[in-house]
Amino acid sequence: MTIPVLVVDDSALSRKLVIKALPQEWDIEVTQAINGEEALTAYRAGKGHVMFLDLTMPEMDGFQVLETLKEEGANAFIIVISADIQPQAQERVKQLGAVAFIKKPLQGDEIRRILTQFGML
Amino acid sequence: MSIAPYTADQRDALQEVVNIAMGQGGSSLAVLLDTFVALSVPRIRIVESSAIAETVAQMVGDNTEITAVRQGFFSYLRGEAIVIYGQEGCHDLADLMGYDANPDAAIDQELLLDVSNLLVGACMTGIAKQLGADIGFSAPSILAERCPVYNLFKAAKLNWTHALLVEISFSLEEKGFTAHLVMLMPEESIMTMRDALDRFLESL
Amino acid sequence: MPPRLDDLNLLSFIVARVNVGIFVVDQQMNVVLWNRFMEVHSGRPATEVEGSNLFDVFPELPKSWLEKKIKSVFLLKNFAFTSWEQRPYLFRFQDNRPVTGGADAMRQNCTFLPVNDGQGDMQYVCITLFDVTDTSVYQTKLQEAMTSLEEVSQRDGLTGIYNRRHLEHHLSHEFNCWRRYGGELSFLLFDIDHFKKVNDVHGHLAGDEVLREVAANVKLEAALLRTTDIAGRYGGEEFGIILPGTPLEGALIVAERLRTMVAAAPVRLRDVEIPVTISIGVAQADTSMPDYVRLIHDADKALYASKTQGRNRVTCYTSSPRE
Repeated sequence: MTIPVLVVDDSALSRKLVIKALPQEWDIEVTQAINGEEALTAYRAGKGHVMFLDLTMPEMDGFQVLETLKEEGANAFIIVISADIQPQAQERVKQLGAVAFIKKPLQGDEIRRILTQFGML
Repeated sequence: MSIAPYTADQRDALQEVVNIAMGQGGSSLAVLLDTFVALSVPRIRIVESSAIAETVAQMVGDNTEITAVRQGFFSYLRGEAIVIYGQEGCHDLADLMGYDANPDAAIDQELLLDVSNLLVGACMTGIAKQLGADIGFSAPSILAERCPVYNLFKAAKLNWTHALLVEISFSLEEKGFTAHLVMLMPEESIMTMRDALDRFLESL
Repeated sequence: MPPRLDDLNLLSFIVARVNVGIFVVDQQMNVVLWNRFMEVHSGRPATEVEGSNLFDVFPELPKSWLEKKIKSVFLLKNFAFTSWEQRPYLFRFQDNRPVTGGADAMRQNCTFLPVNDGQGDMQYVCITLFDVTDTSVYQTKLQEAMTSLEEVSQRDGLTGIYNRRHLEHHLSHEFNCWRRYGGELSFLLFDIDHFKKVNDVHGHLAGDEVLREVAANVKLEAALLRTTDIAGRYGGEEFGIILPGTPLEGALIVAERLRTMVAAAPVRLRDVEIPVTISIGVAQADTSMPDYVRLIHDADKALYASKTQGRNRVTCYTSSPRE
């Protein structure tokens, strides 16, 4: 079954790098969003069973996306990929329901490692 | 001299490089103050020297009384970073750093210099590292104390016409503390940065 | 053969002999390097200092502060600085100006550099110490010069009271305060009667003396007033006095007292006695005024009325000036 994957980042470069780092063999359909608003719309349209989410974004940031999804009782598999590497930021996103936190810049096969760890591959 | 604007790719790359550097600066500040630092999207633009005062005043808030610290950095990117503090935030600093309320102005200044140095060091080192450059710094010094923000560049003799301006703001949620980090790099660094960004994009 | 730059001997020679203090401490604050500059100025040889705890050897150091500083370098992996302007020195060393003087101890700028062991761990902090006594002496002198320059630029050269620029600056400030916080604000403008005649008859030196005498009276009057009141020479033979917190009636009393004082004391110059009188205009700030310039303008109109009505008198401004 093809998995709908949503990549949310205001930077085109960053989205490109995330998509490039996704495992080749993974059967997915990728949708991109450039801010929190777009991400929520895409999620509600069923395009984000797995979500790679940036934190610092204009309009609506990643924290707000997580809060909204939590309120709505959404059950997306969310991995935060952010440059905001404060320990408190990492804790906070986990409390808001993200399963993992990956530091930017992306290193090697960090994404694959986490997907494997959660049995997604 | 006219300056060709960056391409969409170059802008995007710079934005991301600065984003990551900001994260490192924010993290250092969070460790130092033992608190959560709220980050916002960095703003990047090329400004003319005649518009610099106005641009910075708009970023910080027009009628704000500020205190500012400057610090030079040099490598193949050469410029100056200015950290601008709102007046209330300034007073909170000693408190945040776990010092007793101290009446000594020199101690307050020293704290300000320490925090500025940390932000500039972490952010600029972050940028330089991603772009494969080594970077050096001058000692920070107080540029302005309790002065209206639009007076910030009044005394400065600006011998550049265009500069690359990168603005990052850090704020603490519960306190009124905000610090705006403004990095300014004049003409030749705009060009150098362009080449560095191209190399960075190719390396990805 | 010329020495190669990566020659360790050469590098250690430079570190040892460069005219900058260099020392290195580990995480436990034990000194692992102490260069010659530090040896010479502290009087403690490397053999004695290296391997010992910094604070044991130098108990006079500001331990809690310095320890915090060095630890933050380890923790944040970021360099740090101290400047003589905030902290005159780290070590109390003698300065290099024992004769020409100006400082009580060597002023120091310090840099704290994290030393990476190659594995990403910070093992040491290297501290460099620059002698900036000369800079500090020059800067202190410059500051003194600036302060006196500022003082001079606020004062009128002839009479020694504030000049027009400073007077207006102050009035503008008082006007803004009054507008923000309410209360009362009056302004008094006066001019010496027939001053031109004094110059023509007795010469410019006599004119200058008259100005100085009147200014002295103004100063005397200002001394009677509260210290926040400010008086200055507005230009030529014109003077102004700012009276914060003073309504028109109060300003009138001040003006009348000043007028009487000047008229009662003719200026004596060698063998001549020059009678001096002044004409005064008084105005009060009111909410219809767009700015302080209007207040000066109103006082000036009242002053003009005093002149036309025979001089040596006080007029206060109302929409049509009357005595």
